[in-house]
Amino acid sequence: MTEGGYVGVTASSMIMTNKKLKEELESTFKDIQVIVPEDTRLNITAREEDALTILKFLKDRGFNFLTLISCVDWIKENEFELVYIITSYLQKNDEYTQREKLQIILKTRISRTIPESKTVTPIFSNAEVYERELHELFGIKFEGNQRLIPLFLEREYKIPPFRKDFDTREYVKEVFDKIPFV
Amino acid sequence: MDRRDIKKWFKEPAKMGHKYSLWVIYFCTGCGIIEIPPVITSRWDAERFGVIPVATPRQANLFLITGYVSVKTLKAIIRTYEQMPEPKYTVGFGSCPINGGMYWDSYNTIKHLDKYIPVDGWIAGCMPRPEAIFIAVTHLWTMIDKGMADGYLKYREKYKYYRKNQEMALGKLEWSPLYPRENQK
Ligand code: SF4
Repeated sequence: MTEGGYVGVTASSMIMTNKKLKEELESTFKDIQVIVPEDTRLNITAREEDALTILKFLKDRGFNFLTLISCVDWIKENEFELVYIITSYLQKNDEYTQREKLQIILKTRISRTIPESKTVTPIFSNAEVYERELHELFGIKFEGNQRLIPLFLEREYKIPPFRKDFDTREYVKEVFDKIPFV
Repeated sequence: MDRRDIKKWFKEPAKMGHKYSLWVIYFCTGCGIIEIPPVITSRWDAERFGVIPVATPRQANLFLITGYVSVKTLKAIIRTYEQMPEPKYTVGFGSCPINGGMYWDSYNTIKHLDKYIPVDGWIAGCMPRPEAIFIAVTHLWTMIDKGMADGYLKYREKYKYYRKNQEMALGKLEWSPLYPRENQK
């Protein structure tokens, strides 16, 4: 993370506003939707293949911190939506600039039948643990992540428990309710 | 100390000692950790009741489980409970250990704690106020006086069944039985 941090930031990117960034993104990538819902936010919807290059693009412009990767299960559309939230740390001896205020949300969709995506650990190394979490709770496989081992759960589940078709009532009835009182 | 208690002190000094020095190991599994700092510090000052927090289960004789119990924490709870010296008392704190509370259909939260370890008393609420802890402590005094807080004896007696339940929830346990002979019967 060190060389992508404060050092690589150019002066021009510091005064970048979200409008400017939107224009830049739209001119560089095809098949991309950028919405500016607020002054401090930017929502990007893109194809899964482009996600990695977009993240790289944003990181080169100083958005050097991956806050979180999350997932939404759109069961009717048979798709998973991966959500990457990216922002940047405060400058060292500096006040807020436009860039620090900006929260960028990148959304991509992957198929639910073959839940696979490429890992983003080469760009943001802290993604490893988020990918492990999604692997465990949603059953999404991240190609290239070497450590997709269990994170929180102790038991085995037939369907990963955060998927919409996992019936918690049924599960509790089968497992915990069957244990008798002493 | 109440003067009327003097007779009791001479009759059963050990029991009175247990009663008035409940050393607590807090198992802060859930939201309950929020209630504990005001209880043990000067605002509510639990030491008035002889209740003080200790660092290890080896020093404790009261086990407070303050919140929901996931499968992973259940393992730690059992190990902690088995390490405590007898006589030991357990109090479940909040509605989650009683019957699951708002996690009653969760994929990873066990619902009834008393299926796995014996529990002497419950404090209902989500979360209970600190005052409720002191009410529980005074209730526990009465129960110890009358010999009703006998969860640890029950654990020894019915260890076979408890162990079986623990194995049903956790799979194979990696520690050996606490009471091997009782386990065989
Ligand atoms: S009883 Fe309520 S406050 Fe306590 S652990 Fe459960 S949900 Fe949290």
